[in-house]
Amino acid sequence: MDLFVNPSGELSLYRQIMRQITDAIAGGRLKPGEKLASHRELSEQLVIAPLTVKKAYDELEALGFIETQRGRGTFVCARLPRTNPNAQEDQIREAARKLLSQAYLAGLRYSAMERILKDADRELTSGEKMKT
Amino acid sequence: MTSILEFQNISRSYRKGVPVLDGVTFSVAPGEVVGLLGRNGAGKTTLIRIAMGMLFPHSGLVRVFGLSPTEEPVAVKKRVGYVAEDQVLPARLTIAELIDFHRYLFPHWNDGLERQLLDRFGLSTGSKIKQLSKGEARQVALLCAVCHRPELLILDEPAGGLDPAARREFLETSIQLLNREGTAILFSSHHMTDVERIGGRMVLLDKGKVRLDRDLDGLREEVSMAMVPRAWVPDVAVIEELQGCLGVRLVLDEWHAVFNGNPEAVHRELQAALSINNIRCGSLPLEELFIELVGGDRKEVTAA
Repeated sequence: MDLFVNPSGELSLYRQIMRQITDAIAGGRLKPGEKLASHRELSEQLVIAPLTVKKAYDELEALGFIETQRGRGTFVCARLPRTNPNAQEDQIREAARKLLSQAYLAGLRYSAMERILKDADRELTSGEKMKT
Repeated sequence: MTSILEFQNISRSYRKGVPVLDGVTFSVAPGEVVGLLGRNGAGKTTLIRIAMGMLFPHSGLVRVFGLSPTEEPVAVKKRVGYVAEDQVLPARLTIAELIDFHRYLFPHWNDGLERQLLDRFGLSTGSKIKQLSKGEARQVALLCAVCHRPELLILDEPAGGLDPAARREFLETSIQLLNREGTAILFSSHHMTDVERIGGRMVLLDKGKVRLDRDLDGLREEVSMAMVPRAWVPDVAVIEELQGCLGVRLVLDEWHAVFNGNPEAVHRELQAALSINNIRCGSLPLEELFIELVGGDRKEVTAA
């Protein structure tokens, strides 16, 4: 899996890494049990400080997305964290309302939103940006 | 944790009464990457020269691995790698001769690393130093600074005058060194994206003092800029006296004020404190932060 970072992006570097990894897990591009690059490999590949990679991995581990096995490396957790699905659904409904309200205020129609959601789905599963 | 480089209340002036450094205090821990920022003349190079024992501080204390760089220069230099801003290498020597000289000085010279770097930079050891391009000369200087596997690498403007590809190569080499040898790095730079990329922490010098010393993630998430129309708050002191204010600058008809805190919290607090609605808040990249904090001359702001 290819990660990239933008030093002058909106998010701090460790959050950019966290987001790309959770996106890849959500989209199925990173499968449970799959091995991730080591701190050192990723730090050299992205040309960023190894401590930044460590910070991103530590946070993802605390959230239950990845686990470090001593001497073997870092892996996507075989069982991903599940909070209460009902509580999650409530949150997502709320987020959807907010998203639609923002879209309508910006003058977009429902059909445009369907297309945008489809694009986002394809981005998550393929890992490629549809439009920048 | 013991620090490997420590500045305690360092002051230094070149002319009487005009301090270049005026009470600078900070330290670097093992394995840390610290970006030293500041405008031209802020005192970055002077501070680095003090760390290298090339200059005495007029007051204060500098310790490298707990040692004084002026009293125990050999013990310190064995464990430090240094590339100066305008590194002058002996023009008439070949790369091979220069490397031989360094190998002779440093008993722990690592031939494997030397070969690897020569290879990676595509340098041929038979070339004379004076025939090298600026980028190649810097690469040779870096090679000479790191092949004895220093525990601390001090780079003064490592990217100065290099094209983007050469700059990236320089950064890649530094990161690999950090990974393989655990080398701590202190580097001064005007390339903010380089600092954001490889730095864990930044120290901003301004008029001889440390203006800001923060880890970069904290800076991105916990420092924001507020834009307040001057028509609504005519007196800059009202903003400056608010809690968490790091600096204010006038841009056209707006105050640009940097505050401690994330944008939402700062927005809330400012609205409450100033009781006005049209304030905008956002996070800011390092380059903007640099300009906001040390870009404007405060005197002009008050006069405006």
